[in-house]
Amino acid sequence: MLKNYFTLAIKVLSRRKFFTFISLFGISFTLMILMLITAFFQTELGGQAPLGKKDQLVYLDYITTFKQFQDTIPEVDSTMIDGVMRYDTTGYRYEDSGRSISRGPGSIKFWNTHMMDIPFVKSRTIYMSRQSFDIFINSNKLTFSSTFTDGDFFNIYNFKFLAGAPFGNQQLDNQAQVVVLNKEACKSYFGISEGNFEEAIGKEVKLDRKNYEVVGVVDRVNNSFGFLKSDVFIPYTNAAPEVLNRERFNGSFSATFLAESANKTKKVKEELVKRSKVIPLPNPEQHDQLEYFPATLEERYAWTIMGMDKPEECYKYAIGALVFLLTLFFMLPTLNLINLNISRIMERSSEIGVRKAFGAHSGNILFQFVFENIILTFIGGVIGFILAYLLLNTINGSNFLNGTILSFNYQVFIYSFLICLGFGILSGFLPAWRMSRVHIVNAIKNNQL
Amino acid sequence: MIKLQNVSKIYRTKTIETVALNNINLEIAEGEFLSVMGPSGCGKSTMLNIMGLIDEPSEGSISIGPNTIKDYNGKPIAKFRNENLGFIFQSFHLINDLSVIDNVELPLLYRSGINGKERRAMAEEALTKVGLKNRMKHFPGQLSGGQKQRVAIARAIVGKPSIILADEPTGNLDSVMGNEIMDILLDLNQNDKTTIIMVTHDETMARKTNRLVRLFDGSQVS
Repeated sequence: MLKNYFTLAIKVLSRRKFFTFISLFGISFTLMILMLITAFFQTELGGQAPLGKKDQLVYLDYITTFKQFQDTIPEVDSTMIDGVMRYDTTGYRYEDSGRSISRGPGSIKFWNTHMMDIPFVKSRTIYMSRQSFDIFINSNKLTFSSTFTDGDFFNIYNFKFLAGAPFGNQQLDNQAQVVVLNKEACKSYFGISEGNFEEAIGKEVKLDRKNYEVVGVVDRVNNSFGFLKSDVFIPYTNAAPEVLNRERFNGSFSATFLAESANKTKKVKEELVKRSKVIPLPNPEQHDQLEYFPATLEERYAWTIMGMDKPEECYKYAIGALVFLLTLFFMLPTLNLINLNISRIMERSSEIGVRKAFGAHSGNILFQFVFENIILTFIGGVIGFILAYLLLNTINGSNFLNGTILSFNYQVFIYSFLICLGFGILSGFLPAWRMSRVHIVNAIKNNQL
Repeated sequence: MIKLQNVSKIYRTKTIETVALNNINLEIAEGEFLSVMGPSGCGKSTMLNIMGLIDEPSEGSISIGPNTIKDYNGKPIAKFRNENLGFIFQSFHLINDLSVIDNVELPLLYRSGINGKERRAMAEEALTKVGLKNRMKHFPGQLSGGQKQRVAIARAIVGKPSIILADEPTGNLDSVMGNEIMDILLDLNQNDKTTIIMVTHDETMARKTNRLVRLFDGSQVS
C-alpha cells in the first residue's frame, strides 16, 4: 500500500510542478533560516570556550548615578493689546522632572571598594576594552584591540591556551608588563605559523612605547563579545594613571561575577541590587542615587541588541519576538501547504470517490494524503539541509560575521525537521480529513482524476 | 441475493423536494444479469448507487445476501464493499498517475492478508481475463476508450466480488468496443456466476441480459 501511495505521491508532485516548487520552497527555506538562526545563537551563546561557565555568569556593564530635582519650566503668556500680540515670558513653574544623570562603566575604585564580597559570588573580574594600539612592523601598520583586566578574568573565562599561561593577580598587583595575545595577533606580530605559538612565549611586544612580555597565546574566540575577542590582554594596573586613579564611581570598567553555581545567578543579581541601595555616593550634592541592572549572559546579549534600560525586560521582549518570528516562520509553509493541499486534494475528489467505492474507509484516505505530505516534507527537509549547509559555508567563507564561524547543529536540524514534519502532517490532515468525509457519489461525480 | 424493499430516495433542499426513486421493490437472484433502463434522470444510477452501498436510501431497506444494511458509513461497510462489490463506471474513473496494473491492484490495497506478490498475481490474472496483460505497464492515457473500460472491468473483478455494478459501461464506447465489453461481462456472468446489475441506454445490450427493469420518474414500470 505504501509503495502505491509513494508512487502516486511522486507522480502527483512531478505532475504539479508549480505546486511542488512552492511547497518545497516553503519547507526548505524555513528550515534553512531556522538553521541559520540557531547556528548563530549556538555560536554566540552556546557555551564553547571561553564561555564554558556561561550559566554562572552575571554581568554589570554600566552603572547609573543620578539625582532627581525640581526643574524650572518657563511659561509664555500671550495677550492681544491694541491689535498687537504681546508676549509675557517672565512666568515659570516648578516640576519634579529634572534628572542629573551619569551613566557608564564603573571606576576601579568603585569595583574594588564597594563591589567586593558579594554573597553567592565565587569570583569576579573587571575589564576595560576601549583602547586600541597602533603598531608598526616593517612599515606595516597593525591595530591591536585590547582588554585591560585582572587575573580572575582567565578563571571565569576558560580561554583555550595554545601556549603559555594566563597572568595572575600577583602579576596584576606587581604591575608586571605581561600580555596574553590571541593567536591571530601573535601570528601577525611575530610572523609565527600555526602550531608554533610556543615560540612567542617570553618574547616582547611593544605597545604604546612600553615593552610587554608574552606569557600566553589564546585561541580565537568564536563569538561577537568584543572584550573576549581582543588581540591583547593586559593587567589593568598597566592602564593610564587617569584610568587607575579615578575617584568618581563612573569609569571605564565593566564586571563579570561568577556565581557559586548556575542556580545562584538569580541570588547574585538580587544581592548586587541590594548592594546598590547601601553604597554611599561620593558626591551626593550632584548624584544621590545609584542604579544598575545586573544581567545573565542571555539577558546581556538581548540588552546589547535592544538597548533598553533593563536587560531582563530586553530578554523577555527578545524571547517573545523570537518565538513570534519562529511561529511565523513555521506557519508560513504550513498555511501555504494547507491552502495548496485543499485545492490539490479537491482536484482528486474523483479518485477519493473511486477508492472509497472499492473499499477504502475515511482513515485510508486520510492516511494516504498525510503520507503524501510527509513525502513532500521529507524532500523539502533534504533540500533545506543542503541549502542550510551551503549557506553556513558561504557565510563562514566570506567572513561576513567578522570572524565568527557558524557551525551546523545536527540536533537542531532534527528538531526543526520534526517540527516541519508535524506542520506538514497537520497541513495535509485538515484538507484530507475534510475530503475523506465527502459523500462517495458526490466525490465520483467530480470527473477529474 | 439483492433485495430492495420500499426503497425511496428523495433529495431535499430548503425550497424543493425531488423524488429520485419512489418505493422500489426489487429482488435480484444470485448469478443474475440484470439491466436497468429508462430515460435520463429517471433514477437508474441512484438505484445502482444504493445497491452498491455508496448511497443511502431515504426510506426502505436493502439486503445483500443475509445482511440487511443498516449503517452506510464506517469501516464495516467499506470492508463489505471491498469484498463483495465491484464497480464499473461509464467514464472509467482510472487514476491517470498509476499504471494499468497499479489501477487494477487498487481494491486489493484495502484488503487485509494479501501481500504485494499476491496482489500483483491477482491483478495480472484479472488483466489476462480482459485481454490486457501486455498493457499492464502502460498508463491510462496511453489506452483507447475500450481498453480503459477493460482495465476498469479488471479492477472491478480483481477482488473476485460476487456482485458487479456497471453504470453505462458501454456508454462512452463505439459499438465494436461496446460489444467487446458486453462479451466480457456476459462471460463473467456465465462462467464465474457473478451477479451483474448494469444500467444502460442501449436496448441491444439490455436484451443480452437475463432480465430488464425499466424505470420512469423514479418508479419501476416493468
